[in-house]
Amino acid sequence: MAEKRSRTSRLAERARELAPVWTLLALIVFFGVYSESFFTLENFGNILNQVALLAIMGTGITFVLLTAQIDLSVSYMATLAGVVAAYATAGHLPQPWPIVVALLVASFLGWISGAATAYLGIPSFMSTLAMSLIASGLSLYLTRGRILFDLPPLSKTLGSGRIFGVKWLVIVAALTLLVGHLVLRYTRFGRYVYMTGANPKAAELAGVNTRRVVAWVMVIAAFTAGLAGVVGIGRLGSATPTAFDGMLIDAIGAVVLGGTSLFGGVGGIPQTVVGLLILGVLRNGLDQVSVNIYAKTLITGIILFAALVFNILFAGKKES
Amino acid sequence: MEPLLRLTQVKKRFGGIEALKGIDFEVFAGEVHALVGENGAGKSTMMKILAGVIPDYEGEMAYRGRPLRLKNPKEALDLGIAMIHQELSVMPELSVAENIFLGRQPTRGRVVDWRRMFAEARRILEALGYPHVEVERPLGDYPLGVHQLAEIARAVTSGAELIIMDEPTSALSPMETERLLELVRRLASQGKAIVYISHFLEEVTAVADRITVLRDGRKVATLRAGETDKSELVRLMLGKEARFFERAELVARAREGRPVLELSALTRPRAFEGIDLALYPGEIVGLYGLIGSGHFELAETVFGLARPAAGQIRVAGKPLRGGPRQAIREGIAYVPPSRRTGLFLEKPVYQNVSLPWLDRLFGPARELAAAREVTQEVGLRPPDPARNVGAFSGGNQQKVAIARWLIEPPKVFLASEPTRGMDVGAKDEVLSILRRMADAGTAVLLVSSEPETILAAADRILVMAKGRIVAEYTSGEVTKEMLVHAAAGELRKSA
Ligand SMILES: Nc1ncnc2c1ncn2[C@@H]1O[C@H](COP(=O)(O)OP(=O)(O)OP(=O)(O)O)[C@@H](O)[C@H]1O
Ligand SMILES: [Mg+2]
Repeated sequence: MAEKRSRTSRLAERARELAPVWTLLALIVFFGVYSESFFTLENFGNILNQVALLAIMGTGITFVLLTAQIDLSVSYMATLAGVVAAYATAGHLPQPWPIVVALLVASFLGWISGAATAYLGIPSFMSTLAMSLIASGLSLYLTRGRILFDLPPLSKTLGSGRIFGVKWLVIVAALTLLVGHLVLRYTRFGRYVYMTGANPKAAELAGVNTRRVVAWVMVIAAFTAGLAGVVGIGRLGSATPTAFDGMLIDAIGAVVLGGTSLFGGVGGIPQTVVGLLILGVLRNGLDQVSVNIYAKTLITGIILFAALVFNILFAGKKES
Repeated sequence: MEPLLRLTQVKKRFGGIEALKGIDFEVFAGEVHALVGENGAGKSTMMKILAGVIPDYEGEMAYRGRPLRLKNPKEALDLGIAMIHQELSVMPELSVAENIFLGRQPTRGRVVDWRRMFAEARRILEALGYPHVEVERPLGDYPLGVHQLAEIARAVTSGAELIIMDEPTSALSPMETERLLELVRRLASQGKAIVYISHFLEEVTAVADRITVLRDGRKVATLRAGETDKSELVRLMLGKEARFFERAELVARAREGRPVLELSALTRPRAFEGIDLALYPGEIVGLYGLIGSGHFELAETVFGLARPAAGQIRVAGKPLRGGPRQAIREGIAYVPPSRRTGLFLEKPVYQNVSLPWLDRLFGPARELAAAREVTQEVGLRPPDPARNVGAFSGGNQQKVAIARWLIEPPKVFLASEPTRGMDVGAKDEVLSILRRMADAGTAVLLVSSEPETILAAADRILVMAKGRIVAEYTSGEVTKEMLVHAAAGELRKSA
């Protein structure tokens, strides 16, 4: 089927690249027409604020998907990082060490599941699934199920503070995305990430240490997840043992909605930004037009599923 | 008699490139119709139209006298048109039998009837002359030759009336090729029509009833096989003469200095055993062997893709352990026998070329400039390093795989089937690139199962069989027969 693919690849690529943008525009127009409160500066600020944590997490996930791997532990990693930061603060570890420790713990666990995948060949969905249990378990163990209110001051500032009227959270998210983009676009490592995802065997033949690349993207995903957790507790005002667990689907969903291929090698941060905005606009818009609150999740789910089908239809030819 | 299939004034463009410029073509039931032409002449494109892979083209197509327009390969298959693509589409993880019956496994009730599937697969492979292949084993356990075989078996068993084979023998050993040619003749005598694309003109003249020559998207001629010969075909294909290599006169060379590559007692179980070999700067050593003789595995191991169980690899006296990255750093270059494994079809040429050199060559502008230079050197057509590799013809993809290693001249170049799928002219070009590299001091190990390739370029020839070096020729006349004999004789003895 290689021939068929190469013939349709240009068209397919175009469609794949632009479909998310059209989707986003259509959603904006739709909600703009049906809701008066949608098209306000304040509401756009809300949307950005709503997707900021997802954006931080999504940056790492983008790296992982580009190498054709998956990370199912990110949300639990965020929870754990938040718990560790709060726990260490409560234990009077001098600032900003609680945050540093939290990020290190997350990165280390990411390295473990990454190494298990890269060097032992355990599929990443499995190694990260197991890791999510470990992270979740650690969160429970450290908190004994309680809510921790001693937060690092930096978390509070970044999570709920403002500078010049802009939320720090949004700035952190934008900076994370930017750094991710620069790394993917303008560094050798970024190229290795794409090439490893596009054809791991060929990358190896060109001297790319594909195992190391895979291990590293898992560390990156765990780190950005940890960052989301550390900042996220500041926004929530507390650390709980299940604070961010529900974010997994949204975070991966946003990256896929943007058009980054599940088969690796195609996509990037600009795509993820579009995906985040689609998800944000959808969530926000559904609130505005007052659909049945119980239908919200269903609608979001259907749209995510459609995006998945689309992603496979156009990128999945690689497999045939 | 009415042709089984007829094309009238078929044209096809890809963006700015006119791949077919008005082709008339007929195939009759019971004939083997060969299609020859340079890389990029349009052979594969034309066959993809026949097989429904390319649905958008200009011109007419008629099957059994009825005009028709195929929309997809399935339609073609249902009508009895099967195509074996140049790039194989097998699934290495599945068993040999499953690959043969892909999508139409025999069933009992609703479940797959495994016993029957295995039994039938076994029967078919036996009929094709491959009784030793274990149909339950994953196809990936077998060399490329068997992958090709599985594809052929799939088409044959699907009951196709018109079977299109795009370079079916490019990965086969001479013995396997012979069996395939017999099979092709047998199929034709049973009334099937075969379209047979190959760059091996010898095969073509042996197996075909008629031969159509394409050049640059046009049909140059359709000839009866009995009334033409290789040199006429080449003249028609290229518009000029080319040389053939049935034999070579080796001249013992004075070796200068120390060997750059030394293998001592190198062993990898199930692949090769006790290999001693020394390569000197400036020489091209041909390593000939049949598929499965261990020669490809040897090159792969030297490049660090697999660990030897015993023995040593030294580059310029220094022991080499570790993977491809270290090998590249020490000046070893490697082209794998299957271009699909070595290339990123969905990425532009320049990214394919620059990947090993990113530590000193990063940034689209610099990469493009470097890629432009080396792709010019290998004669890539069209010479556009920003295009995706997948949009080039098979032979030109292979040139990309070689071009990568011209960025920085390697000390040792391990080239496994560097001319696979290339036309006579392009083969000459690639072999002269190897020669230029050798003249500049590179030691080239030319690993191939095509005697012609070895004879055309090697200064010294080694023959491998069953994982061992069984013959070495350093001077005097060597012929194709001698090589095939040396390689096959050993194989028969121990089989
Ligand atoms: N999908 C594609 N997109 C753009 N150009 C293409 C595509 N497929 C083929 N071409 C171009 O069409 C021309 C004919 O290619 P084709 O694959 O038919 O050659 P071929 O005769 O089979 O060559 P080879 O012997 O190298 O396989 C070439 O110039 C090639 O670059
Ligand atoms: Mg071709």
